[in-house]
Amino acid sequence: MTITATTTPQPTATAPDKRRPGVGAALRWEIVKLAAQIRSRALLAVALIIPPIVVAVLNGQQQPPSDTIYGRHVHDSGYAMPLLMLAWAAQWVLPLLAAVVAGDIFAAEDQHGTWKTLLTRSVSRTHIFWAKTLTAIGYNLLVLVVFAGGTIAAGMLIVGTQPLTGLTGQAIASGTALRLVVTAWATTIAPIIGFTALALLLSVRTRNPAFGIAAPVVIGFVMQLLGSVTGLDLTRKFLLTTPLEAWHGLFAQHPFTGPLATGLAVSAGWTIICLAGAYLSLRRRDITGG
Amino acid sequence: MSDVLAVDAVGLTKTYGTLTAVDRLSLQVGQGEVYGVLGPNGAGKTTFLRMLFGLIRPDAGTLHILGRTWDEHGIRALDGVAGFIESPKFYPGLTGRKNLQLLAGLDGGAGRSRIDEVLETVDLRGRERDKVGGYSFGMRQRLGVAASLLRDPRLLVLDEPANGLDPAGIRDMRALVKRLAGSGLTVLLSSHDMAEVEEICDDVTIMRTGAVVYHGSIAALRAKAPEQAHEIHTTDDERAALLARAAELEVTRLDDGLAVRGPQPQIDALVAQLIGEGIALRRLTRRETPLEALFFMLTEPDTDPAAPELAITGAAR
Repeated sequence: MTITATTTPQPTATAPDKRRPGVGAALRWEIVKLAAQIRSRALLAVALIIPPIVVAVLNGQQQPPSDTIYGRHVHDSGYAMPLLMLAWAAQWVLPLLAAVVAGDIFAAEDQHGTWKTLLTRSVSRTHIFWAKTLTAIGYNLLVLVVFAGGTIAAGMLIVGTQPLTGLTGQAIASGTALRLVVTAWATTIAPIIGFTALALLLSVRTRNPAFGIAAPVVIGFVMQLLGSVTGLDLTRKFLLTTPLEAWHGLFAQHPFTGPLATGLAVSAGWTIICLAGAYLSLRRRDITGG
Repeated sequence: MSDVLAVDAVGLTKTYGTLTAVDRLSLQVGQGEVYGVLGPNGAGKTTFLRMLFGLIRPDAGTLHILGRTWDEHGIRALDGVAGFIESPKFYPGLTGRKNLQLLAGLDGGAGRSRIDEVLETVDLRGRERDKVGGYSFGMRQRLGVAASLLRDPRLLVLDEPANGLDPAGIRDMRALVKRLAGSGLTVLLSSHDMAEVEEICDDVTIMRTGAVVYHGSIAALRAKAPEQAHEIHTTDDERAALLARAAELEVTRLDDGLAVRGPQPQIDALVAQLIGEGIALRRLTRRETPLEALFFMLTEPDTDPAAPELAITGAAR
């Protein structure tokens, strides 16, 4: 092996800095890195492929899943399918979707030992924090759109666009039903961002990708358990899983949006607290190992 | 060269609980210098470099890097600075070139030709399309240097760049660092290898358990070094020791043989005398170099660096 050295161009001591890299540069770096991950591409593929399969299987079953909200209506309207899927996904799928990338995105740098490599470049911890946070949120919203879009389209194509029966027994016309179904899925955006922030916090704090991914799902289960305990009405309001059920009010004879507003505020609270915790933790951390 | 010091550390201190990793470290590195920070493992070298790169905050003291400080300039403190701490790490699932592209993106980007140039510099052309996960340790070290050069640094900081390399890799890495230093780059080299620092650096700070035990030029250090030590194995070590002491050589009994220290002519005379006395010489080997011996004297835990014979702080800047 022969190593040759070339003269490195020397900037002058007082030369003004060229355009400084910032969040944009860090964001491009993180997106390229995410796009190269098999896991992130696989999750998108799963979000696209699974809904039509599940819808087709449910549609083919003689006995609909009557014990689940909108389960009994899956053969009656293609709009019932995405609502059944939404109720099912809210239990653990949505927290998992939120955590797969977010729970790993900071901890992976610890795992690869690359913090020192990154933080000796021209971008600050703040830049990297926001780049990772925006990437995780953006990616999760993309997965949500693909998952929701696939589910709604599959329901309409496989079952049909019949009017939907409301939760109080009223008939909802096809066009209105579609709008309400899309709105119902849209209401999960805020809690999904909340779960993303929770996963980001765990990713920063634990420095362990497996924990960052699994813990939000477990925490989601625990919240659902707490939410089902009678006598904890006040606690239930502050759980991050409660906003995932706030769409029910849209399908009543007289729609009510109070739970949606509360859910939005609760999700925002979780998001702000978790992101602030993650940010401060990353800013203050001594990078000694990774 | 600019009057601004490349590195100006004054009273830097970092503690972890009851452990003082760096204790009131002061050192100055001028631009264009090739400067060594030397010490055994745990001496505080890497902790100092972490503070330099802003990875950890000092508990006390000030640190200017090319005239900038972390407190005043934030990440701009690293403008003109590049390097790596411990072994450089990359994304194993990406190719060498992709890793360099990504890292260059964090500095505002680099063209294909520039990446080709640094890959050529570290002799990684032809392997840049391989995933880093398949790279040898030495290749990753060289990729680390390539990633550093992409920043067009004025100050290159290398933490034990030859650590873990095979002899050929060590030779090539040292040659690379020397050539980079020859191009006018300021090089701050951390090492636990006296020979490496002696070969590459002009000035050195030697650390032990967080504190500076020597600071000055290699030339001044060399002047303070003890005589060369040899290890002698004979058929009669008892008599050999007596003869060596009579020749005013410093003698230490080893489990097997003797260690003798003194000027080369006296060693030569002793060898001749041993043969003349009918004592067969079974082995004569050089022990550590004088500078290495001095390094051990300065840094080994059972020696007191403040002892008069070891208080050898070099010329002040």
